Amino acid sequence: MSEDNSNVLVKAEGLTKLFLVEKGIFSRSKSYIHAVDKINFEIYRGESLSLVGESGCGKTTTGKLLVRLHTPTDGHIYIRNYENELTDIAHRKGKSMKEFRRRVQMIFQDPFESLNPRRTIFDTVAEPLQVQGMGTYQEKEERVVALLERVGLTPASSFIFRFPHELSGGQRQRVAIARALIIDPIFVAADEPTSMLDVSIRTGVMNLMTELADEMGVSYLYITHDLAVARYMTERIAVMYLGKIVELAPTEDLLHRPQHPYTKALVSAVPVPDPRYNRKTIPIKGGISAPIDPPPRCRFYPRCPIADDFCRDNPHPPIEDKGGNHFVACYKV
Amino acid sequence: MAQALLSVEDLTMNYTTRKGDVSAVDKVSFSLAEGESIGIVGESGCGKTSIAISLLRLLPDNGHFRGGSVWLGDIDLLSLSEPDMNKVRWNRISMVFQAAMNALNPVYRVGDQIIEALNVHWGVVTREQGRDRVAQLFEMVGLDPPLMDRYPHEYSGGMRQRAIIAMALSCNPDIIIADEPTTALDVIVQDRILKQLRMIQDQLGMSMIYISHDIAVIAEVAERIGVMYAGRMAEIADSVSIFERPRHPYTYALMSAFPSITGEKHELFTIPGEPPDLLDPPTGCRFHPRCPNAIEICREQQPPLEEKHPNHFAACWNPMEVIQ
Repeated sequence: MSEDNSNVLVKAEGLTKLFLVEKGIFSRSKSYIHAVDKINFEIYRGESLSLVGESGCGKTTTGKLLVRLHTPTDGHIYIRNYENELTDIAHRKGKSMKEFRRRVQMIFQDPFESLNPRRTIFDTVAEPLQVQGMGTYQEKEERVVALLERVGLTPASSFIFRFPHELSGGQRQRVAIARALIIDPIFVAADEPTSMLDVSIRTGVMNLMTELADEMGVSYLYITHDLAVARYMTERIAVMYLGKIVELAPTEDLLHRPQHPYTKALVSAVPVPDPRYNRKTIPIKGGISAPIDPPPRCRFYPRCPIADDFCRDNPHPPIEDKGGNHFVACYKV
Repeated sequence: MAQALLSVEDLTMNYTTRKGDVSAVDKVSFSLAEGESIGIVGESGCGKTSIAISLLRLLPDNGHFRGGSVWLGDIDLLSLSEPDMNKVRWNRISMVFQAAMNALNPVYRVGDQIIEALNVHWGVVTREQGRDRVAQLFEMVGLDPPLMDRYPHEYSGGMRQRAIIAMALSCNPDIIIADEPTTALDVIVQDRILKQLRMIQDQLGMSMIYISHDIAVIAEVAERIGVMYAGRMAEIADSVSIFERPRHPYTYALMSAFPSITGEKHELFTIPGEPPDLLDPPTGCRFHPRCPNAIEICREQQPPLEEKHPNHFAACWNPMEVIQ
């Protein structure tokens, strides 16, 4: 998007992930789910980006690609290395990938499943240090204790030898955050980190993540289905639909002046916690389907209220700056 | 207020576990008028689903009523015999379950499952009558009638939820309890389902009990809102009053902790601590260990649910000031 890369921390370029779907036992024909399809975006230093969309839109796959839990089918993932250069990690393997594992981490949605029930909190949080061979036992213990205290598990000494089942959901997610941040990553993909938590617990975890981002200089890709949560977490929001980013803009701009017809419908459907507010829904037809071998045209075409023959006959629209860093992938905007 | 159709008085319900009794619902009272929609909001474990299954008397084996009554007109549901209760289920009160896969049987066609509900609760119907009724119900919930011959796995999440609503409507109940009816759904689908529910309620004039953890959803569908905390009703009032002048500190905190995409971006409130363990709930007011307004008496005595304004009830010794 912008030519000046000096501020870019993470950059996805033409990032694509196809999943093979087997069709029948004897059929040799192959179909692919286009989970993530040629997407481009950048995350700048000191900022975080929210990725929002409905289930099945490819947002989790995108997160896993960026931390290389999936290997992309095509495209590039640039991450700033220790020499401060943007390096492509899309197809790295072995030792050179391990170095990058120190730079990128992930936080998962379900704190009940993402922690090993047989390992103590200390073992879980110290594991990244162990894998990366960082520090002596004593140094590790000091770091784990300090970080546990920082994420609000105080006093840390009462937590380090406990097991996950002894902690509440909010406490477990704090452990997961500590595990992700213990090796000072520059980038964390956080996949719905608060969606399993109750409201009264959620705010604490959201605020903690924001504070830690400032203190430790880490940027998040904040994956969520909840636009209201995204509003509070990041300065910019990207909206995904069936493997494509359809709109990417500064948060308030996107929420108050959405331009893509899908974003408009999505924003208008969010319930408002105020019975006096008269919300007007912008209806769209149909439902979301799996992008199995989709036609090359705009992914939103079958449901779009403003689509015409041009949209039908042309490839998926490129994402373009419509002014003020407001990127939209639509021919009609 | 119109004549109460359903009136819950001091309902108390426990679950027995190996570690002792879990006080899931403790002296909860509320009433529901004909045609009214009430929302019960609260966090996981606050007892909102326990209330729903209590009203239908569908408690699991370890659930026991420990007091109170549930009046449907002049019948106390808790004292009915099981066969009599079975006549109330679905005919008078029915329930919309969360849109999970397991709310529908995967090996039967969706239409046949609704016909089964009709046979059990409405009296035996012929296949033709049943199919006519299902077609009528499908139109009401916005499903294409031929879909009744499909299996649940052929439905999307939103369609399954509509089918579950159709099933709840099948015997023309007076009251529908919707327990987290849209929680597993995407926001656009959620919006459609909620609109459909409101439309059906308007058409048929039935009463609704919405149960959700999401105050935004409750704010949009309910005329009156009850806020639950740790098995007790903390506050209950009409929805505008709850939002304009919450009196219970928990209600206030819950609303201030909830992010919205509209309005000014205010700082989100954090409630310190964690919800209590109901095996051993705090003495006095169950919210007092987390409450910024807590005073001496809160630790010792349970606050009664009192009328703080006309038709606005809160259970708090030291309620929030009303900000004009």
